[in-house]
Amino acid sequence: MFAYVVRRVLSTIPVMAIVALFVFSLLYLAPGDPAAIIAGDQATPEDVERIRAGLGLDRPFLIRFGEWLWNVLNGNLGVSIFTNLPVTRMIAQRVEPTVSLMLLTLVLSISIAVPMGVLAAWNHGTWIDRLIMVFAVFGFSVPVFVVGYILAYVFALELEWFPVQGYTPFATGFGPWLNNLVLPAVALGGVYIALIARITRATMLEVLSQDYVRTAKAKGVGSRTILFLHALKNAAVPIVTVIGIGVALLIGGSVVTESVFAIPGLGRLVVDAILRRDYPVIQGVVLLFSFTYVLVNLGVDLLYTLFDPRIRY
Amino acid sequence: MSTTTYGAHIEEPVAATTVAHVSQAQALPDVLPPVKVRGRVRTFIHRYPTMAIGGALLLIVILMGVLAPLLTSYDPTALAPARRTRAPNAQYWFGTDMLGRDIYSRVLYGARVSLVVGFSVAALASIVGMTIGLVSGFVRWADSIIMRVMDGLMSIPPILLAIALMALTRGSVGNVITAITIAEIPRVSRLVRGVVLSLREQPYVEAAVASGTPVPLIIWRHILPNTLAPLTVQATYICASAMIAEAILSFIGAGTPPIIPSWGNIMAEGRALWQVKPYIVFFPAIFLSITVLSVNLLGDGLRDALDPRMAKKL
Repeated sequence: MFAYVVRRVLSTIPVMAIVALFVFSLLYLAPGDPAAIIAGDQATPEDVERIRAGLGLDRPFLIRFGEWLWNVLNGNLGVSIFTNLPVTRMIAQRVEPTVSLMLLTLVLSISIAVPMGVLAAWNHGTWIDRLIMVFAVFGFSVPVFVVGYILAYVFALELEWFPVQGYTPFATGFGPWLNNLVLPAVALGGVYIALIARITRATMLEVLSQDYVRTAKAKGVGSRTILFLHALKNAAVPIVTVIGIGVALLIGGSVVTESVFAIPGLGRLVVDAILRRDYPVIQGVVLLFSFTYVLVNLGVDLLYTLFDPRIRY
Repeated sequence: MSTTTYGAHIEEPVAATTVAHVSQAQALPDVLPPVKVRGRVRTFIHRYPTMAIGGALLLIVILMGVLAPLLTSYDPTALAPARRTRAPNAQYWFGTDMLGRDIYSRVLYGARVSLVVGFSVAALASIVGMTIGLVSGFVRWADSIIMRVMDGLMSIPPILLAIALMALTRGSVGNVITAITIAEIPRVSRLVRGVVLSLREQPYVEAAVASGTPVPLIIWRHILPNTLAPLTVQATYICASAMIAEAILSFIGAGTPPIIPSWGNIMAEGRALWQVKPYIVFFPAIFLSITVLSVNLLGDGLRDALDPRMAKKL
């Protein structure tokens, strides 16, 4: 058990190294010569060369990568080309809205999608099942920003139940914070709910056809106990896996959702950075999101041993 | 495509048993239900309703894109400040945007970008992903290296990966296709590698290896035909997600250049005005959703048809 945990944790290192290499190459390959930009229009080629050597830009790729990696490990992501602020500080200012949005979406999606999937599996082949599956297909097909605009139009512009745009910090109060985040969270959750509901239904159907479920039925165990105690617990592993993998959808979706609802988060930061070609910021956000994603899936893998004591690696 | 075989399958066996009955028993009971003879198209629709609906919707969108010049008399890029932000009316069916361009023709032409990106990414990602998956499944020493790289790429959320790649280049349809393809390749190669690894354990592949069949021939004869079914299904889903990815990239300003009308671009342009002129955003949004839906339905139908065991579950 302990050996497994150690091995699994160590296995994330090569993955993270490849992510880091890719993200570094992004800046390395980025068009535009920083030395030429700093030197200005009047500079002679010798000046540019001198500045380049001064910045260490003439050194080989691997040495620069090592140096960059060392800085990253020490919490230094470089300086934004556009604002001249440290990237870490810019990211720190934008973390709260994105984390709030994602956590709310996660909680909302799981608490809607899992019961939906269970309901569909229990009523397999009936109109309830079909309705839920049709919903799932729509969830996969209607893009995040489309759902976002429809929700904002109906519930914010027409019915005026929620604010149209913006974000209220958690420190202001739970009510206003939640009020501002409900629509973005529902919009962002669409695909995620569809994904989780679908896998929940599929795994539950498989589990419900097992002998022990039939035995439980035969000895008169109530259907609710069978569903949530016998079946759902045994279906947990694939469901939790998909919840972990689906976090990628949430990250990708948050970039768009934050643009639709004008939420000043990391997604918005990366979109602005792209329009300004602010590579250090793009690097920082991509790196942060990818590491988070790797860690989430590491956590999910370690959770397996809790759900399924049979798993021994 | 497969309609012919199914039509033949249904009618022939029935005819054969009837003949057998006649020769063995003396007379047929009168209560035998009459054999239903349906046309091939109707048989197909009856058997695969999801695929039929998805295919029909997609066909409409394809026709829309191809016949765009015939379906509208307005140039989708023609500026006319005098008639800007008109609400939908008899002359401009979907209204006009803030530069006075006809949204109906822009939406029609926008279908081209979505379809080209969707189909190109699906084809390219399948071909490249299949090659990588085959190499990974057959060349032992390359496998662990390739799979580590794929794991690394897969741990960057696809949209973010595409955004990062687009930041390196100018916005163009070709670059959008490349960026989304690179983001999709890891999943395809994983799928193909998985299929290859399980096929290699099959007795008929082992027999082929034992009898000295060269590897390329084994791949051609035994591996490729078996990867084709899951790969086709995967390709339709890739097509659907590539269409969404293109719209997202264009929407945030890192995709198709604004000169080319694409659904993401139209939505990006309507964004500033959407609270007062919501129709600018909603028309491309509806068409994007319908197109993605049609491809997804096609994919679900294909999956059920190609793997009947899965059909009962999913």
